[in-house]
Amino acid sequence: MDNHSLVDYAKSLDCVHCGLCLNSCPTYRITGRESSSPRGRIHLMRSVAEGAIEPDDDFAEEMDFCLLCRNCESVCPSGVRYGAMMEHTRGALEERRQRPWTARLARSIGFGILRDRMALRVTARLARLAEGTGLARLVGAPALPRHAERVLLPTHMPAEGGELARVAMLEGCVMPELLGHVQRATAQVLQRAGCTVQISPMHVCCGSLHAHNGEVKAACELARATIEAYERLTDERGNPLPLIINSAGCGSHIKEFEHLFADDETMAVRARALSGRSFDLSQFLAREPFRSRLMQRLNPKASHQGPYAWDDPCHLCHGQGVRREPRELLQAAVGDGLVPLADPESCCGSAGIYSLLRPRDSQAVLQPRIEALRASGARTLVTSNPGCQMQWEAGIRTAQLDVSVSHLAEVLERASR
Amino acid sequence: MGVDSTLVEALRRELGSDGVLDRRSQRVPYECDGLAFARQVPELVLLPRDTQQTAAAMRLLHEARVAIVPRGAGTGLSGGATPVEGGVTIGTGRMRSVLHIDALNRWARVQAGVVNADLGHACESHGLFYAPDPSSQKACTVGGNVGENSGGPHCFRYGNTSQHVLGLVIVTPQGEILDLSEPQVDPQGLDLVGLFTGSEGMLGIATEITVRLLPVPEVVETWVALFRSLDAACDATSDLIAARAEPSAIEILDKLTIEAVEQSVLRAGYPQDAEAVMLLELEGSEASVQANAAVIEPLLAVRGAFGLRRARASADRARLWAGRKGAYGAMGRIAPDLYVCDAVVPRRHLRALVRRTTEICSGKGLRIANVFHAGDGNLHPNISYDRRNPEELRRVLEAGDEMMRACIEAGGSLSGEHGIGLEKLSAMPWMFSSEDLAVMCRVREAWDPECRMNPGKLLPIRACMETRMRAPGAT
Ligand SMILES: Cc1cc2nc3c(=O)[nH]c(=O)nc-3n(C[C@H](O)[C@H](O)[C@H](O)COP(=O)(O)OP(=O)(O)OC[C@H]3O[C@@H](n4cnc5c(N)ncnc54)[C@H](O)[C@@H]3O)c2cc1C
Ligand code: SF4
Ligand code: SF4
Repeated sequence: MDNHSLVDYAKSLDCVHCGLCLNSCPTYRITGRESSSPRGRIHLMRSVAEGAIEPDDDFAEEMDFCLLCRNCESVCPSGVRYGAMMEHTRGALEERRQRPWTARLARSIGFGILRDRMALRVTARLARLAEGTGLARLVGAPALPRHAERVLLPTHMPAEGGELARVAMLEGCVMPELLGHVQRATAQVLQRAGCTVQISPMHVCCGSLHAHNGEVKAACELARATIEAYERLTDERGNPLPLIINSAGCGSHIKEFEHLFADDETMAVRARALSGRSFDLSQFLAREPFRSRLMQRLNPKASHQGPYAWDDPCHLCHGQGVRREPRELLQAAVGDGLVPLADPESCCGSAGIYSLLRPRDSQAVLQPRIEALRASGARTLVTSNPGCQMQWEAGIRTAQLDVSVSHLAEVLERASR
Repeated sequence: MGVDSTLVEALRRELGSDGVLDRRSQRVPYECDGLAFARQVPELVLLPRDTQQTAAAMRLLHEARVAIVPRGAGTGLSGGATPVEGGVTIGTGRMRSVLHIDALNRWARVQAGVVNADLGHACESHGLFYAPDPSSQKACTVGGNVGENSGGPHCFRYGNTSQHVLGLVIVTPQGEILDLSEPQVDPQGLDLVGLFTGSEGMLGIATEITVRLLPVPEVVETWVALFRSLDAACDATSDLIAARAEPSAIEILDKLTIEAVEQSVLRAGYPQDAEAVMLLELEGSEASVQANAAVIEPLLAVRGAFGLRRARASADRARLWAGRKGAYGAMGRIAPDLYVCDAVVPRRHLRALVRRTTEICSGKGLRIANVFHAGDGNLHPNISYDRRNPEELRRVLEAGDEMMRACIEAGGSLSGEHGIGLEKLSAMPWMFSSEDLAVMCRVREAWDPECRMNPGKLLPIRACMETRMRAPGAT
């Protein structure tokens, strides 16, 4: 593979070098270094394509350092498609990277586990055992819930108070293992909003972590499997059900599946169809008639741990452009208990598996957010992405703040009992 | 001497390893600023954290006789921060602290790398604001603003950066610290702060800046008015000024710019059927805004303005302004590169010169969009091009020169706010006699006899007798 094809050159030309993205980039803000800014990274990509620099380790390091939070995309007036560009480069770099066999093995096991429900369950069991030994603490792994918590959802959950619609819900790969209570809350809220919820027993992982980390082939296979799985969940007339997603990272990836099938028009069409009927939980609940049904049940006084602050997950605000809906729902659920959090659209440093791959950088990115949280006076931080939820929990523990972290679904569930 | 491993080692000791960038892929992204066709990879990039570190680094570079280019966020449009061959770039990317806000006496002291908009946010809670508001304010640094004496839409009323800088801490080319940081309203002795502001990094590096803050006006109202021709919008501007009905900002965007903005993330809801959009801002007490509005509205109507919208809520105002502030970037949708001219014309010639710029560009087969600080007579013809096409680039530069000459002939000047840098170096003699230039050079040499600070910018080489300058690396 030549150096030119490492980069999506055509996209890199969209950047006019105005610099308006610099200050929104967490890695630029912590280093002050142009090469660690969006403009700098695009400049490096373009320089590789034009032969001005070699795609050496330093280059790869800058690409890896990026959080892929896509804050830069939200502020770029020139419409640079940074996320797609970075995924392209990471994929191409991964293909030619000479990793030691141990690292290759670890990667293939890690990314392999995500695709396989049995393997996920076994890993969770093992990890839970390891926790007892203190090993997990040592490597900073998140605390795993008890086995009883880690049950999968039933495949069919009826609407409450008369069915308004039937929907599919993404159960996901790590969510049932790590955040089973969030999955249950999500389903319950949908049921209370008048939806019969269906789960695809065939589906495990959408592949977003694979795509963000350069595992392009696996990402394509998983995207295909996802599309197929949800094409099979249909209503009585045979139309595929809308897909509700409560993890911002997965949602943003599924909505952009089409990119993965640039040279397969039939798949691209099917990908577009799935994107068209995929919704973030908040987006869906903000639509009528579900909104009204849910609102009738919301009882702001039922919330117990205010004040609340909302943290926009990057892949919700920057990735999917969803900003208004979760705030409105949260407001409805907690009344005047909502307080502003500084810089809510800035990354918390979780960034998929970034926090595991680059713990130090991830901590540095989180630090100013923890300070913002402290200043906000909130006692519950609300977000809607599993990685962010765990990242915040870990950071809050370290900073010894008296703040708990909830998924939006949990807050809505509590307020709608 | 020059940049060698001993120097790098010594610099590492002063700045730490994160403060000295010598790997090629870390240096390449510094090869240009917003004037993207001018490029030179610096030998080293230094990122000091404060005045002391800056001074230590500058002393070492002085001993090694290495040329220095200061850099803020690199949003400059005239090549002020373009590195020089064999030289070192000193960036302020890690000097981002707001050091002090004196709300009572209305001033703030910031490190040079503080982003203009961050300074704004920091004083918001005190009911104060920092007036100079370049359209790049979300990214550009206060140090860069001082370097270029930058302006912005509201500088029509409040004046450019120089009118808001009260004090500076400067590190001289020799690495000495010159503390002029006490806020001075009426400078005693020679006004060195005034001299430094706008010196484009040729006299030293400002590390700390004391700025004036102003109280947020009781009422701020943003207006958007539409016109059926660019001429009409220009005429309306002249009318407003003639009638002394002066809002705090008058900005005009032409049709091509409107289209680009509306297709971007910054969609401001500017109607696309207008040939020109005018943005105005009125501020002051409720009574004065009302009174001013009563004068302005009929003046606009005479020139056929329609679709007038007025916004007071800050979110609505921000949305209307976002389009203007991001117009440059939004133009990036049209072609890979953008060349922004910056010329000032007497306001009564606004209409004629806007026309002339369009003619010059279309005569050369170039696409031009006009977006400008009309109140100041500060034109910004934007030409879209592709720097990979050398022939097109040549036409762009020719057009730039011709537009500049036309402005000077009409009694205007070379730069409203973007500075001279590399871009307009060759135009300096059109405006200044060789005697004028020689005086400027003498002032510069008083600070920097070796001409090591940002050489080859602002002052034409011959005038400055920079031929005397030893090439970096020679002893
Ligand atoms: C989208 C866009 C819109 C813009 N709109 C405006 C506008 O409305 N008005 C306007 O005036 N300009 C505008 N500009 C130009 C530019 O943003 C300004 O010139 C800005 O002040 C540059 O700041 P910077 O931090 O990027 O400095 P840089 O570009 O890095 O440097 C500018 C100059 O200052 C010198 N310098 C930087 N820091 C220091 C320091 N600490 N001490 C001494 N010298 C220093 C540099 O050597 C260089 O000569 C715009 C640019 C863009 C890309
Ligand atoms: S804002 Fe967009 S066009 Fe401007 S430098 Fe950043 S990526 Fe490039
Ligand atoms: S994706 Fe995030 S970390 Fe990466 S360049 Fe953009 S803003 Fe910076």
